[in-house]
Amino acid sequence: MATVSATSVSFGASLKPCFNNNRKTDGTSALNMVRVVWTKNVYSSLRTSRFNVCCSAKPETVQKVCEIVKKQLALSDETELTPESKFAALGADSLDTVEIVMGLEEEFDISVEEESSQNITTVQEAADLIEKLVQKKEG
Amino acid sequence: MGASSSPKLSGMQKQVLSLYRGFLRAARSKSAEDRHKIESIVSGEFRRNSKQVDRKNFLYIEYLLRRGQKQLDQLKSPDTVGLSSLNVSVSETIDPKP
Repeated sequence: MATVSATSVSFGASLKPCFNNNRKTDGTSALNMVRVVWTKNVYSSLRTSRFNVCCSAKPETVQKVCEIVKKQLALSDETELTPESKFAALGADSLDTVEIVMGLEEEFDISVEEESSQNITTVQEAADLIEKLVQKKEG
Repeated sequence: MGASSSPKLSGMQKQVLSLYRGFLRAARSKSAEDRHKIESIVSGEFRRNSKQVDRKNFLYIEYLLRRGQKQLDQLKSPDTVGLSSLNVSVSETIDPKP
């Protein structure tokens, strides 16, 4: 949670440095609580993003999940994806959700049980489940 | 809807999704080219039926589920390499009279 205040304070600053900081901290420490919240503020041409650090999947995982979801739903690169984005809100039906989960399975080399895969509705939920399964596989 | 509540799926919907998952899984065991073909046919079929079939037409959905399951069993066999579909478009005779 220490990182929370750090990032929140620096949210007025530009996006890149604060993003990198975050990544490094999470890579080295075993910080297990990372939630990434993008807020889009457009000042003329300047984009500021704020990171909110407080939940359970690594940003890399969330990032990867976002990419797969985008690919699967054929969303444009500009589409804003937050961990809270609901698949349904992005235009995915239940068949798309199955495809997303299958895509994630292959990407992370895991096997998602049917029961749990039906409960995944957001990027965050997917990322959390993946972390859990990957840990189980390694452990 | 609550914070993390997913849309509740009926038993039949779950069966359909499970069948779809089964097809996608079976497709993985085929060659890349066949796999792609299978995936596009299967996904097309499911999507078409999801739009065309009345969600209350349980008998028909059950029939489709059984048929799909049989097709899936065949597809799972290692001897089966691919899947093909025949598209017969029946020209609908539209009755002009009201």
